[in-house]
Amino acid sequence: MEELILELKQQIIEALNLEEMTPDEIDTDAQLFGNDGLGLDSIDALELIVLMEKRYGIKLANPADGKAIFQSVRTIAEYVNENRKK
Amino acid sequence: MNIAITGEGIICAIGADKASVLDSLRRKQTGIDTMRYLPSEHKELPVGEVKMSNDEMKSLLGFDASQEVSRTSLMGMLAVRQALEDSGYLSAENGNLSPLTTHHSPLKIILISGTTVSGMDVTERHFTELRTSDVNLWCLDYHNCGDNTRQIAEYFGCFSEYTTVSTACSSAANALILGAEMLKAGEADVVVAGGTEALSVFHLNGFNSLMILDKEHCRPFDETRAGLNLGEGAAYVVLESEEHARQRQASVHAYLTGYGNACDAFHQTASSENGEGAFLAIQEALTMAGLKPSDIDYVNAHGTGTPNNDLSESVALCRVFGEQMPPVSSTKGFTGHTTSASGSIEAVICLLAMHHGFLPANLGWHQPMAGGIIPTLGEDNHVLRHVVCNSFGFGGNDSSLLFERNVESGKWKENTSATDILPHDRPLTSHPSPLTSICELARVEITPESDLSEIRDFVKPLEARRMGKLMKASLLSSLKALRQAGIDCPDAIITGTSLGCWENTEALLTQIEQEGEVMLSPTNFMQSTHNTIGSNIAIRTHCHGYNITYTQGDDSLAWALRDARRQLASGRCKTVLVGCHDETTPLYRSLLDRLGITNLPSIHSISIVLTAV
Repeated sequence: MEELILELKQQIIEALNLEEMTPDEIDTDAQLFGNDGLGLDSIDALELIVLMEKRYGIKLANPADGKAIFQSVRTIAEYVNENRKK
Repeated sequence: MNIAITGEGIICAIGADKASVLDSLRRKQTGIDTMRYLPSEHKELPVGEVKMSNDEMKSLLGFDASQEVSRTSLMGMLAVRQALEDSGYLSAENGNLSPLTTHHSPLKIILISGTTVSGMDVTERHFTELRTSDVNLWCLDYHNCGDNTRQIAEYFGCFSEYTTVSTACSSAANALILGAEMLKAGEADVVVAGGTEALSVFHLNGFNSLMILDKEHCRPFDETRAGLNLGEGAAYVVLESEEHARQRQASVHAYLTGYGNACDAFHQTASSENGEGAFLAIQEALTMAGLKPSDIDYVNAHGTGTPNNDLSESVALCRVFGEQMPPVSSTKGFTGHTTSASGSIEAVICLLAMHHGFLPANLGWHQPMAGGIIPTLGEDNHVLRHVVCNSFGFGGNDSSLLFERNVESGKWKENTSATDILPHDRPLTSHPSPLTSICELARVEITPESDLSEIRDFVKPLEARRMGKLMKASLLSSLKALRQAGIDCPDAIITGTSLGCWENTEALLTQIEQEGEVMLSPTNFMQSTHNTIGSNIAIRTHCHGYNITYTQGDDSLAWALRDARRQLASGRCKTVLVGCHDETTPLYRSLLDRLGITNLPSIHSISIVLTAV
């Protein structure tokens, strides 16, 4: 799981072009969206959906489904762990 | 000056002229159907296609079938021709336009066209072969929005000037606004204004990457709405002063009595929760027309069918109209979302509804949405005198048009032909702009040698995450110029660009080429829209004022400066930020090199702050 969490952080930094951030700077349990956390928005959510499909073969048909899954790096990791096709 | 509308032309999914569009509207017959002409793999997505092949359009326009012409241009030409015929400026019998003159001088007749997709249909057909073959390199010239307008203008040969507006889905509405402004400033005698947009694999997949395309027929303002259906088409109207129309004894169909252009300044693709941009645009239109909200008889909503737009627009409408909500409908259930052309297509729908006295239906609506307006499902025998037409674009470029029916004309009569224009004694351009002295407060230019990392002084790295080099350069030159001028927020942001963020456009074309029609990068699609440059600056400066983007090739900056002078001369703006921004990529430079165009910089951005003194 820890390995997947690190991999996800690296993937997120690359997919969202979070210049100058390192995986250490992303708190595994911090909110990714909204003003309290990292401050990501709806376009970032779509980029994460693309990432899920490309990297892990997970198709999310409805962007609203992303809301629960993309809460934090940990919730993404848990979802990927259970649903990955590759 | 009263702005008269004396002719209209339209081609869209529900008809190839005014009569057939009217017939479909009255029969509540949608034009959205299974994809037939667009060569996309996404056959599961319903679209509002014009029911004609390119070859059929070419035949109507007298082109040889072997000649490659963009579908955007073909539809534009068909709709402009109808508008010119309808207004009497083109005689239907001989199909020719003789040079139009008044007693004093040739008529200043200007074509203003809104488009974003432009020649993309041709570019995507040839993109792969461009790297290796010179045969179709010409399409690089053909790609940009300004060239699309040039083709339409040159087809008719009667236009003294032409220009292009690209503010995504509000482009055509802004073309009408610009037309009215140019008439009022005495820069034109007659304006043909509207927009044209053909479906392309590029933007169908782009919208798909934003996950806002419904696989079912769209249901604007319905609780179960799940997105939009893309459509295509073109529509243009002929605008002239009432005085000019009367002098040539033309029939005035309606007046453009008010308009508003405001920026939501919230997000590149999402509308704000309080619908601020939309609210300001509608308010501005009402104020200009001198009307109260209760005077409005019908609103043709932007109403795309996405959860976000319809909620935000409902909030804006409730803020403007409160308890006195007039009948509202979105006609995108008929036409699909025709993006850059939607402003003029829906304007013509409003004019038809006003003239024939009926409320267009909001197709697909069944169930009220939380916080949403209840749209009309269509009604006959409904007198409409004042009508509002909303068009909102990416980047929060929100515009509203306000039309008034010409109550004097019980029936539209056939307009007289061009040759019957009466000579008159007074020059037509008797409305010069007031003499205003304009002062340049600051100017910042960014070239390939500039240090883009300076952007850090203004925005956090996280905020710059989606900005390519042109977005960074344009924002940096703008913010530096504003700082030099000592201004936090200008009254207006006027942008010129030939190709917009070409790096993102090319990245998407390459992704489609290499990976097929998969889930593309939503960031690249969003940034490929020309007006993201101007709206990005608006978001950073919290500027809700006038915001427009010109895409007239090398003349883009000149058009932007002309508009800035008009804004300052009108007294509406005290300070205007004008900019022109373009970039090239290694691939693009290598292609242009083969056309003999060399030494293009990788980036060039210029920002100027002007004020009236």
